[in-house]
Amino acid sequence: MSALIEARGLTKHYDGFSLEGVDLTVNEGEVVGFIGQNGAGKSTTIKALLGLFPVDGGKAYVLGAPSAELSHPSGAATKEQIGVVFDAISLPEHLRMADVGRIYARAYATWDARRFEHLTAEFGLDAKKTVKELSRGMGMKLSLACAFAHDARLLILDEATAGLDPMARDEVLDRLRDFVAEPGRAVLMSSHITSDLERIADRIVCIDAGHIIFDLPKDVITDEMGIARCRVADFERVAASGIIPERDLRYLRHEYGIDVLVPDRFAFAENFPDIPCDRMTIDDYMALTLKGGVR
Amino acid sequence: MKRAYLIEMTIFRDYAKQLVGLGLIVSLCIGLGMQTPLAMPATLTCMFFMMGAMGLAAYDELNHWGLFRLTLPLSRRDVVLGRYGAIVTLGLAGMVVGLVGALVAMGVAGALGLGGEVGEAFSFDAELMGPMLFVTSFTLLIGSVVASVVTPIYFRLGQTRATQILPTAIALLFVVPVAVLGNSGMLDGGIPGLDLLSDLLAALETPAGMVAGVAACVAVSAVALAVSAALSLKLYERREL
Repeated sequence: MSALIEARGLTKHYDGFSLEGVDLTVNEGEVVGFIGQNGAGKSTTIKALLGLFPVDGGKAYVLGAPSAELSHPSGAATKEQIGVVFDAISLPEHLRMADVGRIYARAYATWDARRFEHLTAEFGLDAKKTVKELSRGMGMKLSLACAFAHDARLLILDEATAGLDPMARDEVLDRLRDFVAEPGRAVLMSSHITSDLERIADRIVCIDAGHIIFDLPKDVITDEMGIARCRVADFERVAASGIIPERDLRYLRHEYGIDVLVPDRFAFAENFPDIPCDRMTIDDYMALTLKGGVR
Repeated sequence: MKRAYLIEMTIFRDYAKQLVGLGLIVSLCIGLGMQTPLAMPATLTCMFFMMGAMGLAAYDELNHWGLFRLTLPLSRRDVVLGRYGAIVTLGLAGMVVGLVGALVAMGVAGALGLGGEVGEAFSFDAELMGPMLFVTSFTLLIGSVVASVVTPIYFRLGQTRATQILPTAIALLFVVPVAVLGNSGMLDGGIPGLDLLSDLLAALETPAGMVAGVAACVAVSAVALAVSAALSLKLYERREL
């Protein structure tokens, strides 16, 4: 399995925020969900990967090319194979749909004008409207249509489904699934909508305060892990049983009890059939990891 | 570079169309006010160079276009050279539109048989073509020097910050020296070589001198833009977007 994105020790210092030694890999055939709180460093990491600013340390390669070279003439051929969507439409407001197509046709040698027309029609985008006249959701659809219409190998999506209605999100997720099914392709997708990632991602990477907090296969989180809804007495019983190693016993206190992170919910259910244990969601896991205490 | 240039032209196309219409009206008003068609191409040339530099920079910050553009298969070098190509194209387009506008205005004035001072000023005179070309090339020089000064600042600071600084920079570069020289009395013979300047101005009134003057204006404009582009390349390479 070859890596389409490979970052090791990416470091960037700003006043009040630092990206600290970020490691990130996106392999062929993978959809990697990139999550974290606002200001955690997701967009900064993505911009560093795209070579939009020089980093203070570490190295990153995208499609085999050093990120630092992507803004240089030698990086243009690599960028032909990357589709990028930011969290809001990134085109001047006065452009009409045809102008947008024209700009992309000039930028990408592999631009497929027919596919773009087809996608914009499918997304219900009015060709006569200007970028300014598009709603946020429509703007995102336009950005996605652009990213899908130049035969990219790698899609880098920063909050690309934000603002889309559930139907449109479904459609986009289906397209992403089809996209990544082709050989040699991958998707890096940052999102706050973790239900989307539960449906499509193969791996989840979480960043917080510029540090990677976890990097796990999604199925490990959503299929193997669980969240035990304990009372205080249950919690003490679970802790005393040793079924969860003490250093891994993460919990989050609520008004009505304690949520406990369970690494293997099936084994837990066998040992504690009286304690309700739900499936873990990405949101739960993130909350327990970022906000939870360790016994 | 070609890709970046074509993208710039696509983005600027609608504004350029508006600018042509507006420019023609402004230059016609100036021509009528000054009672000479000489001012028409001169105004448009200068205006298009300056508006091109400033207008194109303004689009960079709309919806973070300047940042997103670098995710397209373009290098920073492409972006800078494309921008200068677009500025020169727009400036020269202004010159052509102005020249055509002036000729049309003279033709219309002749066809309508306009009398009075305006009719006389706008009557076709072949001898006017030489001075018109020189004045136009001189405003090409002014426009390209202004574009050469502002464009690196836009590339380094972005349009918002540059707009805060540019009035001061323009005043320091263009207004203060003129005011200081004017008030110091140096222009009244105090500057060494002022006689040479007077001789040069006199030479410009000869056909050969005028051709040389036009060539000099074009050459200096090209050098100013080339130096400016080289500076912009260095500044933009280091800019954190």
